[in-house]
Amino acid sequence: MINFSRVSLVYPTSTKTILEDLSFEIAEGEMVLVIGSTGTGKSSLLRLINGLVPHHTGGILAGDITVDGVSTQLVRPGELAHLVGIVGQNPAQGFVTDIVEEELAFGMEALNIAPDVMRKRVEEILDLLALAHLRNRAISTLSGGEQQRVAIGSALVMNPKVLVLDEPTSALDPIAAEEVLSILHRLVHDLSLTVVIAEHRLERVIGFADRIIHIAGDGSAEINLPEEILKRSEIAPPIVHLARALGLSDVGLSVRDVRRMTEEIRANGKDIPREAGQLGEIAIRTNKLSLNYGEKKALNEVSTQIHSGEIVALMGRNGAGKSSLLTTLVGINKLSSGSSEINGIKSVDLKGQVRRETVGFIPQEPSDLLYGQSVQSECQQADKDNQSAPGSTFALLKRIVPSINQETHPRDLSEGQRLALALAIVISAQPKVLILDEPTRGLDYQSKALLISLLKNFAKELNRSVLIATHDVELVAELCDRVIFLAEGEVVADGPTLDILLSSPAFAPQVAKVMSPRPWLTVSDVMRAVAE
Amino acid sequence: MKSLHPLTWWIWSLLIVGAVISANSSWLAGISIAGATILVWRFAADAPWARSFWFSLKIGAFILIIRTLVGLLIGVPIPGTKLFELPILPLPSWLAGVRIGGVITQERLFSSIHEGLIIVAVISLFGAAVSLTSPHKLLRVTPIVIYEFGVATVIATSALPNLVQSISRIRRARLLRGDENPSWRSIALPLLEDSLSRSLELAAAMDARGYGVSRKRSRYRPISWQGIDSAVVLAAVLILSFALAIFR
Repeated sequence: MINFSRVSLVYPTSTKTILEDLSFEIAEGEMVLVIGSTGTGKSSLLRLINGLVPHHTGGILAGDITVDGVSTQLVRPGELAHLVGIVGQNPAQGFVTDIVEEELAFGMEALNIAPDVMRKRVEEILDLLALAHLRNRAISTLSGGEQQRVAIGSALVMNPKVLVLDEPTSALDPIAAEEVLSILHRLVHDLSLTVVIAEHRLERVIGFADRIIHIAGDGSAEINLPEEILKRSEIAPPIVHLARALGLSDVGLSVRDVRRMTEEIRANGKDIPREAGQLGEIAIRTNKLSLNYGEKKALNEVSTQIHSGEIVALMGRNGAGKSSLLTTLVGINKLSSGSSEINGIKSVDLKGQVRRETVGFIPQEPSDLLYGQSVQSECQQADKDNQSAPGSTFALLKRIVPSINQETHPRDLSEGQRLALALAIVISAQPKVLILDEPTRGLDYQSKALLISLLKNFAKELNRSVLIATHDVELVAELCDRVIFLAEGEVVADGPTLDILLSSPAFAPQVAKVMSPRPWLTVSDVMRAVAE
Repeated sequence: MKSLHPLTWWIWSLLIVGAVISANSSWLAGISIAGATILVWRFAADAPWARSFWFSLKIGAFILIIRTLVGLLIGVPIPGTKLFELPILPLPSWLAGVRIGGVITQERLFSSIHEGLIIVAVISLFGAAVSLTSPHKLLRVTPIVIYEFGVATVIATSALPNLVQSISRIRRARLLRGDENPSWRSIALPLLEDSLSRSLELAAAMDARGYGVSRKRSRYRPISWQGIDSAVVLAAVLILSFALAIFR
């Protein structure tokens, strides 16, 4: 269905070759997963399939790409619209109309398809993706998962033979992600749709993939069966790391396979003693905190305490009020009732210098914090703000990312580097509390490991508290001591990570699913249980 | 008001603009501003573009003030009731005919306000047309031949609300860095980057979905011209002919 023959790609402003001499073929009805570290060209590869690269981005393309026999170099991307449906990383940015139904019809209208055919197809898609009850809703009012479904629907409605998705689950909570992926799985099997998907969180998609394209970053790429690639690849889901650590002969890709291979370990592993960490003084305290947006209740009587030295995860489905709670804690929102204080200071009273030294906040888009012309000027600004010795922020950054170049513009940094820069700036003020909103969105495993060790050091060695809003259960399992679970603006569960993650199958990390009913969340937990 | 044809309010506003300009009457200008305000307040959907009217009113007020001040200070003196007198600023001889300061008469004040009002009326009538029509619907009735125009419309109309969102997001982040009064420059840079990448993303999405490929476009929901559309346009035509007849 898709045929790459000796494809090389170079962008005009860059000296780096994105892809070099890449040849592969994807058959009809295959689901292919594209993996690679950030910035290696996953998105470029996906956009090559419908010609957005190089038609829309510029760049030099050598070799030939055909989709269903049509060469992408000879036609505009629009002329492939009936063949290839593409769903971008952030679907909200690709919506062209305001109502769900009109969005679905947009592509067909552009192709001048007869109204009665159009109506029939829209109905089919509404049913297929369970969108019928949303048909007249404004797209901007939908939740993240619903928007993702609309985006997939508006690609599918054209009856494409190929569907291309760029990180379709990165913004979704585990349940919504599961929903989207199972729909894709069904389409592949029922309609023999060809699906190409790029994703960082392999644990979510690995079970569905027929083959993997691994982009190495130096221009080379390998396409092979998942088992083969994951035997050697650095990028691998926790379940593969588990198999490697235990020295299993095969890497299993599904929880079921690995469970079969690890029966003995589950039976013989020792219980790990729980570390009863000593609680420090209270760093964050909220009492019956409520927040309304107009009529809507975003937060309802949230009462909680977070101690210094604790790393706490804030979890919950899309729209449960996680971000609202974070921004209220740091004093951006005016609360409707109740109280919220950090380190004994009322959140709304935090200003300037005091705020920097009390609470550090990394928003969902770390680049919002950055406005300097270079990494160096950002670091100097931070030094000046905190009245610390010149160069201390950059030294801190250098410890996180040794390879970073002072002269680089923040915009040209990779996702992980940008997060590191924002973190260095915020941490250099030595805040008592560090708050992060969805820090792992778009991060590869390598950057994630870096983030984990950095935050652990910060909390445990300096005895500071860290609060993270996230959908990433693997991150929570590795990093957090405690989980607060929000639903509809209310705290529905609050307790040690182990208890909370194990109590709900949807939010359990992969290793825990394999090792159930033993309470081991991560590879290192299992290794400790086996070693003793 | 859902059923109105997307062109109706545009035709309506063009006709009224014609009436206001040809009548050259501050009364008609005032009435049409008031009328547009009521229409928008009453009928505009709760959508991002509906706010453009209030934005256009603000711009209008700003222009009115500037226009009045400039009209009072600079220009040809109009004789009449004297309000107060300003010293005349000496100007080089090659600027003969231009005078800054001097006697401010009631007539001069009124004529400045009158001209300002007409400009405000024109701006707010266009603002009303934008507010009352979904740009996405408008896009569907624009001929595909002006492809670039279509892409530009969608990007512009979705860029403005996005811009407002981005500004507040960036300002908030800046506050959190302890920067209580972030400079305009420090916001503009990430903002520009943000909106540029969004616009490119949107243009790519439209292209990928086949926009502009076919010379003809079919319609999922037929958009038809109905009686009420004719009534709105007819009302505007009446106002125009009334203005032509009375004020000429």
